[in-house]
Amino acid sequence: MIEVSNLQKTYNGITVLNIPQLTIPQGESFGLVGNNGAGKTTFFRLILDLIEATSGEVKINGQKVARNDDWKAFTGSFLDEGFLIDFLTTGEYFNFVGKLYNKSEGDIALFMESMQDFFNGEILGTKKMIRDFSKGNQKKIGIAAALLGEPKLLILDEPFTALDPSSQIRLKRLLNDLQAASQITMLISSHDLNHITEVCKRIVVLEKGDMVKDLQTNTDTLKELEAYFAV
Amino acid sequence: MLILDLIKQEWKKSTRSRGFYKNVVANLFLGIFALYIIIVFLFLGFSLNSMLEKTHTSLTPMEMVNGAMLYLILGALTIRFIMQQLNTFNLPLYQTLPIKRSALVNFLLLKPIFAPINYFTLLVVLPFAIKSVAGYYSGIIALRFVLSFVFIIWFDSLTASYLKRKFGSSLLAFLAILIVLASIAALEYFKLFSLFAASKVVFGFIILNPFGLLIPLAAVLLAFGLNKGFFSQNYYPERFNQKLKGAKVSTADFSFLNRFGIIGELISLQIKLMLRHKRTRTILLTSAVFLFYGLLFYTHHYNGDGMLFFIAVFMTGILMLMYGQWAISWDSNHFDSLMTKNIPVRSYVTANYYLMIAFNILCFVLTTPYFLFGSKIIYMHIAAFFFNSGVNIFLLLFFSTFNTKRVDLSRSSAMNYQGTTYKSFLIVLPIMFLPMLLVSILSWVASLSVALWTVSLLGLTGILLRKPLINICINQFNSRKYKLAEGFREQE
Repeated sequence: MIEVSNLQKTYNGITVLNIPQLTIPQGESFGLVGNNGAGKTTFFRLILDLIEATSGEVKINGQKVARNDDWKAFTGSFLDEGFLIDFLTTGEYFNFVGKLYNKSEGDIALFMESMQDFFNGEILGTKKMIRDFSKGNQKKIGIAAALLGEPKLLILDEPFTALDPSSQIRLKRLLNDLQAASQITMLISSHDLNHITEVCKRIVVLEKGDMVKDLQTNTDTLKELEAYFAV
Repeated sequence: MLILDLIKQEWKKSTRSRGFYKNVVANLFLGIFALYIIIVFLFLGFSLNSMLEKTHTSLTPMEMVNGAMLYLILGALTIRFIMQQLNTFNLPLYQTLPIKRSALVNFLLLKPIFAPINYFTLLVVLPFAIKSVAGYYSGIIALRFVLSFVFIIWFDSLTASYLKRKFGSSLLAFLAILIVLASIAALEYFKLFSLFAASKVVFGFIILNPFGLLIPLAAVLLAFGLNKGFFSQNYYPERFNQKLKGAKVSTADFSFLNRFGIIGELISLQIKLMLRHKRTRTILLTSAVFLFYGLLFYTHHYNGDGMLFFIAVFMTGILMLMYGQWAISWDSNHFDSLMTKNIPVRSYVTANYYLMIAFNILCFVLTTPYFLFGSKIIYMHIAAFFFNSGVNIFLLLFFSTFNTKRVDLSRSSAMNYQGTTYKSFLIVLPIMFLPMLLVSILSWVASLSVALWTVSLLGLTGILLRKPLINICINQFNSRKYKLAEGFREQE
């Protein structure tokens, strides 16, 4: 699904990301961990064509992402609040996003119904603008909007932070159900090693822009990661 | 001492903000503009005396100024109500520190008084006081005259921020003020009640009587007290913000646009954006005011053809010009969203194109009353409409990709230059002045009709060639996309 070759990103002579080769097959749940500044968000932005690679390229389904619109139709993503349109109400926002992915009003209503549990009854049916919601609820709105288009590729940057404990558990269940039900490819970054090992089948560790570990998740993975990050 | 610390911190906040040094060129433009205003004001101040002496009344120049004083106060209040930015500072940040509440409120209220822009009027007042008041009366009276102006500036500044905090800067409040002003003017005109006479008596007393200055001083204290009272009731930010925002969302329905697919969705999104942010609402309001610009120019016959065409381009394209300069920057807050959701770049650029065409049609229709000024104006407006829709629109679409500065929509009102760089000026100058130059030259060399036909045909060509021209803009957008995304992500 995703092929990365010779990807490099340099800011003022400092290389912040360097991935010589990486392939993420369809249906894989791919976890990305690393301390602050490791290049996780930079990598995601490169995949989403929000920054220009210094060299190398990212391909989705064999097509370069750079200056291309084709991948947008089946990709859902949420990195930060910039992915929301904060002066809309939640209803307007979901309608807008739904229309972009050719969903009918019925489809959208059905989807929102399925999200009721995740939203914990706090998000739908108010006339509040998105900017007036708490950080946690904004995150839920963004994640839901990323899922609304029934994406084949889902990219979430630290989806668990700012969520309350119950919501974290609900999100884990939601992501695992999605994997079981469809051939969705997921790229998720997190600082919480527990969560990421529970959700992802493959985990890559970044350090200062380099891939230092590439693990298939098994019962020992959590221990290995904890040992790696121990100070 | 504490207030001094707070002032220092605010100063650091502005000088250490990222935009401050980067923006030297834009500040230079603004500086030149300020210099221009200073010179004009000084000139007015020095010549006001002789100008007033030439009018055929028995009043001294100062008496005439006194008569106009209440009008000046009301007018200044109105302008401040529209333009003055409320002094906000991060109250919650300081609320938790052991600082007395009254110290914070005092700082919030008194800071605007130290802004130099408030005292621009003194550039007129001081020379006038020295030349005229001191001449007709005495030096001490001239001093009182100047002091009364300082008090009035304080009064206006405090009252405007009180009214603004109390009523918000809604369109309704603005209309209410206009109605009040219009009715006062009507009373004066029909000689039912003369504010001029009342003002002359009151300010004559204030300036000539040794204790007269106590009146404006009392007014300042009253305005200050009103503000304090407001804050004692609305100290907590949540209540305060309620007052400011009204937290109401007008969910006006633009669903008729849905028929047009993604482009329709984007246009309706953009209209919502404009209606729900202060800064864009101010643009709508100022555009509406500028539509009356023609009354100033079309009524005189000594304007050259180039100048008239400039006005025509300006009025029939005002919304497009105001919006188009920042066509992409308006989306800076949610640019990542638009770039990653299923929105082809073509749809995004085309949506902006059609929105601006719609603005042009709207402005053209709204300015049709000017057709009453004669057939020349009709031809001017039609030519300007074509030129705007066929040439200027593409210049805006193309060059707006150079505005990579994040535009913060939430804080603002008129005279807000946040997000303005020298590029913003570079975009507008050719758009405004090239057609003016073209028409002047052609109507001088050949004739006005040749000039108007030329610009109209240029515009029509642009409209007919819109497909390839939009493609050029799309390519331009694609090549600037990363710069835009990066610039927009940078918070100030």
